[in-house]
Amino acid sequence: MIALWYAIVSLMLIIYVILDGRNFGAGMLHWFVARTPEERRQVIAAIGPLWSWHEVWLVGFGGTLLAVFPRLIASAFAGYYLALFLILWSLILRGISIEVGGHINDRLWQGFWDFVFVFSNCLLAVLFGVAAGNVARGVPVDADGNFSMAFFTNFSVRGQVGLLDWYTISIAIFAATILAAHGATYLTLKTEGPVHDRCSKYATYLWATTVPLFLAISVESWTVRHDVVGRAIHNPFCWLGVFVILIATGTMIFGFMSRHEMRAFLGSNFILVGLLTTGGAAIFPVMLYSTLAPENSMTAYSAAAGEQSLRLAFLWWPVAFALAIVYFVFISRRYVGKVSVRRDTQGYY
Amino acid sequence: MNGSLSDPAFWSRFQFGFTLIYHYLFPQLAMGLAWFLVYWKWRALKTGDEKYNRAVRFWAKIFGLNFAVGVVTGIPMEFQFGTNWASFSRYAGGVIGQTLAMEGMFAFFLESAFVGALIWGEKRLGPRYHFLAAVAVACGSWLSGYFILVTNAFMQHPVGYQVDPRGSLVIGSFSAYLLNPWALIQFSHNQIAALVTGSFVVTSIGAFYVLRQLHPVQAQLYLRAGTFTGLIASLLVAFPTGDQQAKMVGRHQPVTLAAMEGKFVGGPDAGVAMIGQPNVAARRLDNPIEMPGALSFLAYGHFGSYVHGLDEFPTNAWPDNIEILYYSFHLMITLGTIFILLMAYARFESWRGRLESNTLLLWVLMLALPFPYIANTLGWMTAELGRQPWLIYGLFHTNAGYSKVVSGGDTLFTLIGFIGLYFVFGLLFLYLVGREIALGPDHEPMVNLSPAVGGSRDGGTA
Repeated sequence: MIALWYAIVSLMLIIYVILDGRNFGAGMLHWFVARTPEERRQVIAAIGPLWSWHEVWLVGFGGTLLAVFPRLIASAFAGYYLALFLILWSLILRGISIEVGGHINDRLWQGFWDFVFVFSNCLLAVLFGVAAGNVARGVPVDADGNFSMAFFTNFSVRGQVGLLDWYTISIAIFAATILAAHGATYLTLKTEGPVHDRCSKYATYLWATTVPLFLAISVESWTVRHDVVGRAIHNPFCWLGVFVILIATGTMIFGFMSRHEMRAFLGSNFILVGLLTTGGAAIFPVMLYSTLAPENSMTAYSAAAGEQSLRLAFLWWPVAFALAIVYFVFISRRYVGKVSVRRDTQGYY
Repeated sequence: MNGSLSDPAFWSRFQFGFTLIYHYLFPQLAMGLAWFLVYWKWRALKTGDEKYNRAVRFWAKIFGLNFAVGVVTGIPMEFQFGTNWASFSRYAGGVIGQTLAMEGMFAFFLESAFVGALIWGEKRLGPRYHFLAAVAVACGSWLSGYFILVTNAFMQHPVGYQVDPRGSLVIGSFSAYLLNPWALIQFSHNQIAALVTGSFVVTSIGAFYVLRQLHPVQAQLYLRAGTFTGLIASLLVAFPTGDQQAKMVGRHQPVTLAAMEGKFVGGPDAGVAMIGQPNVAARRLDNPIEMPGALSFLAYGHFGSYVHGLDEFPTNAWPDNIEILYYSFHLMITLGTIFILLMAYARFESWRGRLESNTLLLWVLMLALPFPYIANTLGWMTAELGRQPWLIYGLFHTNAGYSKVVSGGDTLFTLIGFIGLYFVFGLLFLYLVGREIALGPDHEPMVNLSPAVGGSRDGGTA
C-alpha cells in the first residue's frame, strides 16, 4: 500500500516535471530563440494558455503528499524553508509575467515582463535541480526527524551539508540543461518560422550536451551515494527506467531526423520519465536520507499517514486522475497546431 | 496574538493571515462572477442577443486577470502548511491533506483546464461549448471552495477522525468528515457572500458607465443583473445562512460567541451591542448601546434565553484577541445590513424605472465596490480569530502547530517578501483591471492585424 502511494506521488511529480519543464525550458531559451518582440510574443503564446493547467499538477502533488506522507511534508518543507519560498516566489513571478505581458502592446512593458519571465524560469529550473540533488545526496536529518539547512556550508557532501555543494550544483546544471533541451523540443513542435528553426538547432546542441553531463553526474552519484547506486543495480524498476530512457532517446533522434516533431517531443518527455523513474526507484524507500546518521533517515513507511487515511484516499484518487485524463484529452485536441508570429494564432498572449 | 515579536508562532500566524486575506480577495470575486458569466452566456444562447456575448467577453477578461492572481497567490497557502505549520501537518495531515489534495485534483484541474477556453475560446469552441466552459469554470471554483471549507470546518469543529497509534489523526469516517454540518452551513454562508462581492462589483461598473454616459446597453445590463442578484444574496447571507452560522458558533464554541458579542458577563435577556468598545482589562464593554434581549433571541430563539459570558470560562480558553474579534464581527453585521438596505432601495428604484437616473444612488452603488470585500475579510477574521487559541478546536493548540525548526527571523524575511510582492501585484492588478474598464465592453480586440502592418495598437491584444 505504502509502496503504491510512493509510486502514485512519484507519478504526479513526474507529470508535473514533464508538463512544466517545457515552460521552464522555453523560458530559459526565450531570449535566444526569439529575437524580435513579435517572436517573443510567439514563444509566450506557445505556452500561454496552459501554464496554469501545468502548475496545478504541483498543487495536486503537494496536496496528495500532505495527505499520504504528512511527516515528510512536515520535515522537508520546514527544513527547506527559504529554498521553497524562493521557488514559490519564482512561480508567482513566472505566472504573472505570462499573464500580464500580453495585456499592453508596448515594447517597454513587454520587454520588462520578458525579463521577469526569463529570470524566474531560469531560477525555477536551477532550484528544482538543486532540490533533486538534495533528495539524492540527503539532508542533515537529526534523531527527531527534523532538519534545517543553510544555503551552503563548506560545499562538502557529508555531515552538516548546505543546500548548495559541488554535487547539488552539478545536478542543477544537468537539470537546467535537460529542461532547456525539453523546452526547445516543445517549441520546435509548437512554433513555425525563424523561432522554429532556431529551436530545432538549440534542441540538437542541448541534447548533445546532456550526454557528457549525464555521465558526469552518474559518476558523481556513485561517489556520493554508492549505497544507492549499488542497490539500484538489483532493482528491476531502475532497469525499466533505463530501458525507457534508451527507447525514448531512439524515438527522439529518429523523430528529429525524420522531422516528426511530435515523435521527437514524445521521446523528450519519456527521457524525463525514465530518468525520474530510475531515480525515484533507486532511493526507495528512503525519502529523506540523513547525512548525519543513516538511521535518522525518513522512509516512506515512517512518513506515511495511518492505514485508514491511505485506504480512503484510494476511493477518490483514481476518479480524480481519470477526470484529469479526460481534461487532458480535451486540452490537447483544443490547442493542437502551431503558433506563428501572426497575432490571430496567439489568443490573448 | 499576545506573543512577543520574537515569537516564531506570532510571525507564522501573521504570515498565514496576511497571505490568506490577500489571496481571498481574488477567489471571492471569481466565485461570485463565475455565475454571472454562466447566466449571460446562457441568455446569449437562448436569445441570440449580441449584448450578452459582449458582457461575457468583457467580464471574462477581468475574470482572467483575477484568476491569474488567485492561482499564484493560492499556491503559497498550500505550501505554508508544511513550511510554517509542520507540527500541525504532522498531527493532522492525514485528515486535512485529503481535502487539500481533492481540491487540487477535482477543482483546480477542472478550472484551469477550461479557464483558457472561457477567456479566449469563444470562436474556436462555438457557443454551446463556450457555455459549457463557463459552467465548468463556475463548478470548479465552487468545488474548490467546498473542499477548503471542509478543511476549515474540521479545524472549527473536528468530526469523523480517529487517533492512530502514533498519536496523529487519521480519517475515521469519510462521509462524516466531508459532510461536517459546520462545513455545510459555512459553505452556504461563504458562497453567498462571494455572490454579494460579485454582484456589487458588477453593479459598481454598471453605475460607473451610467454616470460616465458610456456603453448604455451594457451598463443597464450590469445594473439590473447586479442589483437583482445583489439583493437576493445580501438577504440570504444574513438569513438564514449567517443566522445559522452564529447559532452554530453558540452551540459548539460558546466562549467564541461571548467574545464576538463582547459579553463579559453571562445572563438571561442578553442584548446585542449596537455600539460599544470592549475593555478586556476591565472586563466590560465601554459606552454600550444595546438592543435588549436580541442576542438571547438570535442565538437561542427566546428573548429570555441564557447566554454564556466570558466570565464563565477560564481566561486561557478565551480567544486571544477579543478586541479585533469583536470589531470584525460587528462591522461585518453592520455592513451586511447596509448592503440589504442599499440593494433593496436600488431594486425599488429599478421597479419605478428610475435606477439609471437617480444620480445619488448611482454614486453610492459605484463607491460601494470595496465594502463587500471588507465584509468577507471581516467574516473570515471572525471565524479564524474566534477559533483561537485552538488550531483544531478542542484538540490542538495553535502554539503547538508551528514549525519548530524555522526561526522567527526566517519567517519575518519571507513575510517581508510577500508584503513587497503582493503590494506590487495589487497595484498591477488595479491598473490592468482599471484599464479594461476604461476600454470598456464595446472595445473589440484587433487580433487580426499582423505585425508586418504595424501590429495591433495599444490594448489590441488585451
